[in-house]
This record gives sequence, C-alpha cells and structure tokens, in this order.
Amino acid sequence: MSLSEKLYKWFDERLKLRELLPPIVKHPAPEKVTSNPLYCLGGTAFLCFLILVVTGMFLAMYYKPTPVEAYNSVKRIMTEVPMGSLIRSIHHWAANTMIAAVMLHMMRIYFMGAYKKPRELNWVVGVSLLLITTTFGFSGYLLPWDQLAFWATKIGTGIAGSIPVIGVYISLILVGGTDIGAETLTRFYAIHVLILPATIVVLLVLHFMMVRLQGISGRL
Amino acid sequence: MALIKVEKHEIDETEHEPVRVRGFPFFPHFLLREVVVMCLIAGSIILLASLFPAGLLKPADPFDTPSPIYPEWYFLYVFGFLKFWTWGIGPIEAKTIGVTLPMVIWYGILFLVPFIDRNPSTDIRKRKVAVALGVIAVLGILYFTYYSIVHH
Repeated sequence: MSLSEKLYKWFDERLKLRELLPPIVKHPAPEKVTSNPLYCLGGTAFLCFLILVVTGMFLAMYYKPTPVEAYNSVKRIMTEVPMGSLIRSIHHWAANTMIAAVMLHMMRIYFMGAYKKPRELNWVVGVSLLLITTTFGFSGYLLPWDQLAFWATKIGTGIAGSIPVIGVYISLILVGGTDIGAETLTRFYAIHVLILPATIVVLLVLHFMMVRLQGISGRL
Repeated sequence: MALIKVEKHEIDETEHEPVRVRGFPFFPHFLLREVVVMCLIAGSIILLASLFPAGLLKPADPFDTPSPIYPEWYFLYVFGFLKFWTWGIGPIEAKTIGVTLPMVIWYGILFLVPFIDRNPSTDIRKRKVAVALGVIAVLGILYFTYYSIVHH
C-alpha cells in the first residue's frame, strides 16, 4: 500500500471520506454553466472576497484606526512596508472588482429569471450580500483618513441621515456623535473588519448552500 | 449536516433509478476551468494594482472642504438622483424623496423582485415586462451616475 493510500485510509476511517467525497467530487456541473462565461460572475465576486480577506489581514497589521495615526500608517504602508503598496492596491482593486462582479451577477440572475421559484430566498440573500458589499466599500473608504475619505464620508453619512424616521439613528450609529472624528473612525474600522466580515460569511454560507440544494437555474 | 444527509439521499436514489444529467463532474473538469478563470481574474487584479496603485490625497482637514468631492462610483447614482430631483410632493420635501427613492425604495423593490414577478417563465421572450423594467432600471442608474459626474 502506497503512502497516499495509507493516508487516505487513515482519514477515511476517521472522517468517512468514502461517503463524503463522491457527492462533492462527482457532482455534475451543467454543461451550459461550463460553457457560458456569464456564469463566472458570482465566482469572481467570491474570489475577490477571498483576496480581500487575505490582503485585509496584512493591512490590519500596520493600520492604526485613530485620526492622528491613520493617515500616517497608510502612508507608511504605501512607502515603507515591503510590498505594502502592492497589497493595498490589490485590496483597492479587488474591492472595486467585487462590487462590479456582484452587480453584474445580479443582472445575470435578473435577466435570466433565475430568481424564480424555488430560488426566491436566495435572491433575497443575494440582495443582502450586495447591500453588505457596498457597506464594506463605504466603511473602507473612510479608513485612509485623507481629504477624499473624510469629505465623502461626511456627505455619505449626511445623506443616510436624511432618510425619514430611521436616518437619524443610522447616522448616530455610524458617526458615533455629531461630527466625523475619532469615534467615527473606530466605528467604521470595527464595522469594516469585524461586523461586516462576520455577517458576509453567514450570508455566503446560506447563499452557496441554497445554490447546492436548489441547483443552478435552467435556461438562457 | 443537513447538506450531507441530502447528498446521501441523492446517492441512494441514483442507485435505484439512474438519473442522467448532462454535464461534467465537479472534479476535475469543472474545477480546472474554475482555476483557469481564477488565475485570469487574480492576474488582472494584480496587473491593475501595479499599473494604477491605490491613491492617497492630503490628510483629512475638517476645515478645508475640497471640490469636487466624489463618493465611490457605486454610490454616484444616489448623488446624481439627489441633485436631479428638486420637486417636493405635498408636505414631503424634495430632499427626502431624493434620498429615500434611490436607497430605501430601490432596495425594497430589489428585495421583493421574486415576489412581485409571479410569471413562472424563464424564457426571455415571455417576460417582456420584467426585461423592459430591468433595462429601464439599469439605464436609469447609468444616467444618474452620469448626471452626478456632469453636475458635481
């Protein structure tokens, strides 16, 4: 018995690989999915998410979420940290690509009518994912604490604040006071690296489990 | 665990009456294509990142308002609509409509799409209304994005 067979047997005896693997490995992917590049959009968004997780972890090692240090820590990432400029630029481009991919993915689902019974709930989870993804973008935009970040956030929170009834609370929760300052920055940082990642992982698991259970929708 | 149970159930079924599905097995055929696509996308992102690095302007200054201020490109349509809509309806201010329509109402409609569109057909020729509304929505968002850039 070869080493790989021995290893497989060892894990099989403990994890029942013989039962678990075939449905995953042999599960057929419909022919049209393999031939039509439009079906790549959702996967593209997910790949971007994975890239964002990894690059985000590296950025979090150097970034300091206080008004005094935020800008300089980003500047340090761009000029001093080895490969820092590349990592931050990849984070930037993967974020933009992810949002574009999510939007195009949603357009494909809409125009192909793939949200119809039994996939209504997965559409709802998908729209939530779009909402989460754009909130990711909005919260990440403030973190470099440069002029653009500050003023775009000021206007953005102002707009969110003028939504009737709930706007006042949304603005208060986001800004953490009356003006954009240290409270806002730590809040946006917590939202960007803790709250939203936890939420998106739950929603992604639901999204993918429903795709698996319901299959990929029929025709073009 | 529910997922695993379902899979087992599927295996039992196929053993009794084999169901023919046109397609490739996930591994290795489908995964190979996925890996190729992933490499292309990751490569493109790295290329963009090295050619156009993420920018960093002057440090934030609460006392110096720059002009123009652009939000992220995917929020531009909200800005554009807010500038475009200047009509109040009765007691509702123009600004309230300008904010609520592209954010709250728009996302509300998006969430309810499968419950509004009860037409069971997925044939594009039999869903003319849905497709027309979709095209209008896409063109509308593009127009307001354009509007926000021109009228900043």
